[in-house]
Amino acid sequence: MADLDEIKRMIEAAVPGAEVELLDEGGGDHLRAIVAAPQFDSMKRIDQHRAIRNAVRERFEDGSIHALSIETTVLGSD
Amino acid sequence: MPADPQLKEQVERAIADNPVLLFMKGTPDMPRCGFSMRVVGVLEQVGVEYGAIDVLPALQPLREVTTELSDWQTFPQLYVNGELVGGCDIVEEMLESGELAELLGVEQPADTAAPEAHRILPGGSQQSPPMQVE
Repeated sequence: MADLDEIKRMIEAAVPGAEVELLDEGGGDHLRAIVAAPQFDSMKRIDQHRAIRNAVRERFEDGSIHALSIETTVLGSD
Repeated sequence: MPADPQLKEQVERAIADNPVLLFMKGTPDMPRCGFSMRVVGVLEQVGVEYGAIDVLPALQPLREVTTELSDWQTFPQLYVNGELVGGCDIVEEMLESGELAELLGVEQPADTAAPEAHRILPGGSQQSPPMQVE
């Protein structure tokens, strides 16, 4: 069971200035992170996803997250 | 756990030898996972030649190798010119945006309709298949 507020803070800390929405897609350990950040503009998609996943790696390792879907957008691009 | 050095070397060689290389579950003719099947579909659509490696016979050892090489643990993984591009959803997004055709140096295929999952998202969001840790 993941602490959604904590995980949101972990992503925000790793991607400063990001707007993060975190959804529980089932059971409290299947999560979806929707992250918009201005600096994604200069990052490859794979690196955007890496940054988010690595930010919460500890919570994968301790079992509080089982699956994480990631959606990224460039903040300010729309 | 550190990756098997011999396997790691084999993987590095395969990535170096194949300009377009897909690590997938199953084979292009018989994919064993929906995400792998979708990436095969994308590659067929752009009509590029590619190598494919079935990860299922050595799933965990290969996970350890790709973690060390590319900081990525889930499959499928598409490599182009020696670099990890992404998994299913990144590849599909890049097909739709034209980035994939550009990267592969081919013409953008005519029909690149967005798959179901993307159509509901405004603004072309980029999705990843869930990362699973057993």
